[in-house]
Amino acid sequence: MSRAVPAGVVAAVRRSVSQVCDPEYPEVTIAELGILERVGSSDGGSTVRIELVPTMLGCPALDVIARDVTEAARAACAGADVSIEVVFVDNPVWTSDRIAPSAADFLAREYSVAVRRWSASASCPICGGTALEHRSDFGPTPCRSVEWCPQCRNPVEVVGRVEFPMSRTGPVPA
Amino acid sequence: MDDTGPVTAVEPTGDPAETLGARELVLALADDELCIGQNLGWWIAVGPFLEEDLALTSISQDELGHARALYGLLGDDIDAMAYGREPHEYLCAHITELPCHDWAETLVRHFLYDTAETVRWSALADSSWESLGAVARRALAEERSHLRHATGLLDRLLRTDAGIAHLLPLFDQLAPMAREIFDAPSGCSDGALVAAGVITCDFGNQLAQWQDIVGDALAKTGYQPQWAVADAEAAPLGGRAGRRSAHFAALHAEMVEVLSIDPSARW
Repeated sequence: MSRAVPAGVVAAVRRSVSQVCDPEYPEVTIAELGILERVGSSDGGSTVRIELVPTMLGCPALDVIARDVTEAARAACAGADVSIEVVFVDNPVWTSDRIAPSAADFLAREYSVAVRRWSASASCPICGGTALEHRSDFGPTPCRSVEWCPQCRNPVEVVGRVEFPMSRTGPVPA
Repeated sequence: MDDTGPVTAVEPTGDPAETLGARELVLALADDELCIGQNLGWWIAVGPFLEEDLALTSISQDELGHARALYGLLGDDIDAMAYGREPHEYLCAHITELPCHDWAETLVRHFLYDTAETVRWSALADSSWESLGAVARRALAEERSHLRHATGLLDRLLRTDAGIAHLLPLFDQLAPMAREIFDAPSGCSDGALVAAGVITCDFGNQLAQWQDIVGDALAKTGYQPQWAVADAEAAPLGGRAGRRSAHFAALHAEMVEVLSIDPSARW
């Protein structure tokens, strides 16, 4: 017998998990980073299903994020007898385009981390210079590369190493 | 490549994941990624320069992530699949088991493996097994930076006499071993996999594409990989059939070290 998720519980879970923060950037939510894909009901309405998009398949923070999301979801439906399902989906693919502009501004201002959008150049979070030079694809975390700003002569970390995935027919839409 | 056996008839409406050999194919890929990821992780804190330390260990992390995604296609208990099988149940290619504690060896193996992976993932990107195709497209996006890293270093080093003298003999040693990556895993008929759309290019054609990529990358040095010699001597290494190399036992012991201390530990 499947129990239906009470009306309002899905919305409450959505609100709650939207506030879960990223372990790497504890002031930025997973919703702002584009990691939260969808909150809905599944299994004929007996389960709240939360779909997350991993930034990188090997990201060591994935388990922490899944745990935090599960706890936030449970807290939101306290008292309601529903199951919670947290899954990482392979489709769509996360790209830096999924980061909200407000979060990108925050990362630049507070962490000196630049965000490179698809088909747009990144600017130096320290001086605003736009002539960043690529140094290494591999920075301190799997999703950050290392670049160099010749204008202010500082090394700069850039989110946006993951290129858009390709299939034979061209880029896969995000 | 495996065209000696009868091609099993495939139900056109069947689940592609149930195609004969599809699970073995994914298991072999996952085992390759697990071993290569574990071996690259050895370079933590001992890389020849800081950026290389970060690069090799980031790549290690990516490859372990790919292994995890692939095992996840086969079942829920990823730890049991990654760590809980008997040695003969692993289907990895022997090249992935090599420790390569000499950095030049690691670079040459990295180049051979990542070029092979690009060919292999490309043959899966449009797979009829949809979740496998999604993992392949996801992985391909990450592999591009791996390939840029390997080819960038190799190109620079092959412009020097010292680099040529040091690296080319390693190709003689490792390239014939690396071709095993395209051997069919036991129980796997690529005819059936192509017919069901699980892979869009058979193993023989994947091998040929990879040999072209490797040959082109080395052409400016005048060096030709000794494929023909390898073909003539081709005694199968048997990694894809469950035969483990001498290096596997130590690698496996290292992988299961945490689990043997705490059986409740999770990936």
